[in-house]
Amino acid sequence: MANKFKVIFQPAGRRGEVEEGKTILEAAQMLGVDLEALCGNKKVCGKCKVRIEEGYFEKDNLESGMKHITPLAPTEDELKHIKPEDGPGIRLACACEIHGDLKIFVPERSRAGKQVVRKAAKELSIALDPAVKKYTLKFTPPTLHDMTTGDYERVIKALEEQYGLKGLQFDYMTLKRLQPALREGGWMATFTVWMDKEIIKVEPGSVDVCYGLAVDIGTTTCVGYLCDLSTGKVINTESMMNPQVPYGEDVMSRITYAMTNPEGLETMQKAIIAGLNEIIEKVVAEIQNEKCPKPGCTIDDLTIVFNTAMHHIFLGFDPEYIGKSPFIPAVQQSLNIKARDLGIKINPAAYIHVLPIEAGFVGADNVGVLIAQEQYYQDDMVLVIDVGTNGELLLGNKNRVCSTSCATGPAFEGAQIKFGMRAAPGAIEKVKIDPETKEPQYKVIGKADWHTHIDGKINAKGICGSGIIDVIAEMYKAGIIDKTGKFVMNLGTNRVRQDIDGKPEYVLAWAEETSINTDITVTQADVRALQLAKGALYTGAKLMMKKMGVTNLDRVELAGAFGSHIDREASLALGMFPDVPIEKVVVVGNAAGDGARMALLNKNKRTEAEERARWVEFVEIATDPSFEKEFMQAMHIPHMKDKFPNLKKNLEEQGAPIASSIKG
Amino acid sequence: MPTKEEVLEKLKNGVIQYDEDACKEGANEAIAIGMDGNEAIFEGLVAGMEEVGRLFEAQEYFVPEILMCADALYAGLDILKPHCKQMDLGVKGAVVIGTVEGDVHDIGKNLVKMMFDVAGFTVYDLGRDVPLDQFVEEQLRTDSELVCLSAMMTTSMIGMPKVIEKIKARNPNVMIMIGGAPTSKELADKWGADGYAEDASNALKEAIKMVSFLKNLRAEKEAEKKG
Repeated sequence: MANKFKVIFQPAGRRGEVEEGKTILEAAQMLGVDLEALCGNKKVCGKCKVRIEEGYFEKDNLESGMKHITPLAPTEDELKHIKPEDGPGIRLACACEIHGDLKIFVPERSRAGKQVVRKAAKELSIALDPAVKKYTLKFTPPTLHDMTTGDYERVIKALEEQYGLKGLQFDYMTLKRLQPALREGGWMATFTVWMDKEIIKVEPGSVDVCYGLAVDIGTTTCVGYLCDLSTGKVINTESMMNPQVPYGEDVMSRITYAMTNPEGLETMQKAIIAGLNEIIEKVVAEIQNEKCPKPGCTIDDLTIVFNTAMHHIFLGFDPEYIGKSPFIPAVQQSLNIKARDLGIKINPAAYIHVLPIEAGFVGADNVGVLIAQEQYYQDDMVLVIDVGTNGELLLGNKNRVCSTSCATGPAFEGAQIKFGMRAAPGAIEKVKIDPETKEPQYKVIGKADWHTHIDGKINAKGICGSGIIDVIAEMYKAGIIDKTGKFVMNLGTNRVRQDIDGKPEYVLAWAEETSINTDITVTQADVRALQLAKGALYTGAKLMMKKMGVTNLDRVELAGAFGSHIDREASLALGMFPDVPIEKVVVVGNAAGDGARMALLNKNKRTEAEERARWVEFVEIATDPSFEKEFMQAMHIPHMKDKFPNLKKNLEEQGAPIASSIKG
Repeated sequence: MPTKEEVLEKLKNGVIQYDEDACKEGANEAIAIGMDGNEAIFEGLVAGMEEVGRLFEAQEYFVPEILMCADALYAGLDILKPHCKQMDLGVKGAVVIGTVEGDVHDIGKNLVKMMFDVAGFTVYDLGRDVPLDQFVEEQLRTDSELVCLSAMMTTSMIGMPKVIEKIKARNPNVMIMIGGAPTSKELADKWGADGYAEDASNALKEAIKMVSFLKNLRAEKEAEKKG
C-alpha cells in the first residue's frame, strides 16, 4: 500500500491523508478545496498557484516544506507563470507531487469559489469632524524682498493667519516636497493637516477631496472601508481572508506559532501588512487618476481595530504574554504610528490610528463596538454580543458597562463541524425542519430560493455558521435532539440514522442534492461543538449579569460579521443568551468596523474611545467560582435551569409542540 | 433493611442518573447494613461511573451530564470515605495534579482528580496556573509516582515538555500523564509523557480504566483471602 501523508489546505481548513505521489491539485479536489484549474492539469493556465508553507506547526504536529514535494524546484513550465510578486513558496498545484506532510495556502486569486465576506458597511449618522483636513493657500510669489522668510515659515504663518492653526509642525519627508509643490502649483497649494498639529502632505494647486480608510482585522476576515472624509460616505469596501490563517486558525495557535518559530512573529506581521496593502491597492481602484503614480497615497488617514492578538502581531509586539494568564498586553492606550514606519502604502506621512485595548483579550475591536453602540448613553440594559472566532460581550447602560471575552471556538464559523465550511457559494445558510415529517428545507448561498423550489442541480457543498445555528435550533424544535443535545432515535424517518461507527446523525441533504456526492449530515459531535460554543457565550452573559446585579435584559444586540447573519429566533431557541422578547433581539452588523469608521470620521470619537476603554469594567469569567456550574447548565438547550418565558410564548404561537417542555 | 445488592444498585444508578440524593441515601444505607466502604465505592459508585464513561463514548452523555454525575458521586463518596479500611493493592497511590502555568481552565483536571479520589489515591492538587517548577518540587517533596499536567490552550501547553524533562531527569520512574484539548497522542510521545487524554471526558475515561484495573486487583485480593 502506498504511504499516506497529512495535507492541510488553508484558508479553507480542509485536511486529510493523501497517498504518496498524488499531485497537490488532486489532493485539493479529493478534499473538496476550491482551486482554479482551467486547463485541467496541463500546467498551461497557471491558475492553480499555491504557497507551500515552511516550518513546523505545533498545533497540527506537522512539518511542511518544499522538501516534501517533487520536483523540488519549480520546473520551466511552472516558472512561466510564477512571478516575483507572487512571493516565496509559490508552485503550481498540478505540477507538484506529494512526498511528505504539507501545509498549503491557496491564495485569493487561485480560489474557484469566492468567499462571501459578510462585512458590509451600513449608513452611520455621525457629525463630520475628521482628524485630517485639507487647507488650500494662495501665495504671492516671493521676490528678493522676501528673502528673509523661508517657504516653511511662509506656509506656517499663512495657515495661522487664514485658518487659525497655531504651532503647526511639518512632517520632515513632507517638508522636502514643499518647494517643488509650491512652484508646480503656481504658488497655490493644498496642505493636509493631522489633528491641527502636523502637516502631512503638500499638493500643488487646489485639492478638496480627502480620503480615509477604516480597517477591521478579524482573526478570519479583514475588511477596509474607503471613506470620503468630506462627505463621510463609504466609496468602496474591500475584504479578504486574513492571510495569517495558514499559521493558525484561532488566535491561540497563532500566538503559539510566534512562540515556537524563531521568525514566526515577523512572518505573520509581514503577511498581514502585505494583506492590508492588497486591500488598499484594490480599494483605491475607484479613485485612481493618472496624476498619482501611487494611488494608495491619496489616503491620508487610517483607523484600525482588531482583537488583542491581531493587534500585537500587526504592530510586531511579541504576543506571548497575552497568550497566557494573566494575559497582559504590551500597551492598552491608542497609538498613532506613521504609515511609513509600518510599511503601509498610503500617504507615507499619514498616521495609522490604532484604537485602544480594553483588557486582556478584549481588544480594540470591542472598543469599536463600544463606541458604535454607545451603551454608555442609554437607559436600557443592553447586552452586545460580538460573535466571531472569539466571542466578546458588553453589558450595561449609562451607569456602568462590563466587558468580557469567551472562547467560543470555531464552531460558529463552520470549522470543526463535519460538513462545516465558510460562507461561500454552495454553503447551506438557512434551514427549516417540519416538526411532523422531520423533512428539511434549506437555502444555499448563491441560489435565490429554498432548495425545494429549485429546478435542477442544487449543488450544496457544506454548512456555514449561520446554517449550523439554524439546523441545530430546528432539530431541537422538531424533537430530533432533546434538551441535553442527545439524538432521539426511532422517529420513523430515514433522515435520522447511525453512521458507520454507530454515532447518530441527521441527513440535511441527500448526496444527489450536493456537488460533493455525499450526504450532508449534522452529527452528534457537531451538536456537541455547538453546545460548547453557545454555552460559553451564555455563561459570559450570565456571570456579567450576576456581577452587575441585573436579572433582565432590555435588549440583545448581535454584532460581528457572522452575528449579522444569525437567525434571531434560532439563536434564542438555542439559548445563546438569556431570554428576551424576540423583537428585542437586534442585528447590528459589523459594529467593530462601524466604530473604526466613526473614529475616522470624527476625531472626538477617538477621545471617547480612549476614555471609555478605561471606564469599562473587565470581568474575568473563567476564574469565577461558579463558572463550572454555570457553564455546565448553559450547555443544555436552551438551558438546564433558567426560564425562557419569551421563547416559550413564541413557540406556542407557532404551534410548536416543543413549547410545552420549555420552562416559562 | 435493604439488601447489599439493592444498595449497590442504588449507588450505581444514582451516579448514572446524576441523582445526588439517591447517592447519599445509598451511602447511608450501606453504612447502616455494615457494608465495607471500599466495596460500596468500587462496586456501586465506580460501577456507575464506568457506565457513565460508556454513555459518553456513545455520545449519549456530554460534559454537563458528566459533571452532574461527578457531583452525585462525590455526594456518596463524602459519606463513605470515613468508613473505608486501608487497602493494600500493591500501589502506593500518590499523584500530583494541576493545570500548567498561564492556564486557568480546570474542569478536565477536576474530573481526573475525582477518579483518583475515588480510587483512594492521595491527591496533591496544585490547582490552576501552576508555575512549572512547582510540579517538579511537589513531586520530589511527596515522592508521588504519578504527575498529571493539564492545559486547555496551545500557548500554555508548550510549557509541558519542560516539566516532563525536569521530572524525568531526576526520576525516570515517575509516570507522567498530560491532557487537555490541544494535546495529542503524538505530542505525548514526542515529549516522553507516559499517558495522554485529549479532553476532560477522555481523561475521565483513562482514569476510569485505571480505577477499573484497581477494582479488579481488589477483587483478586479479596478472592485470595477467601480462597
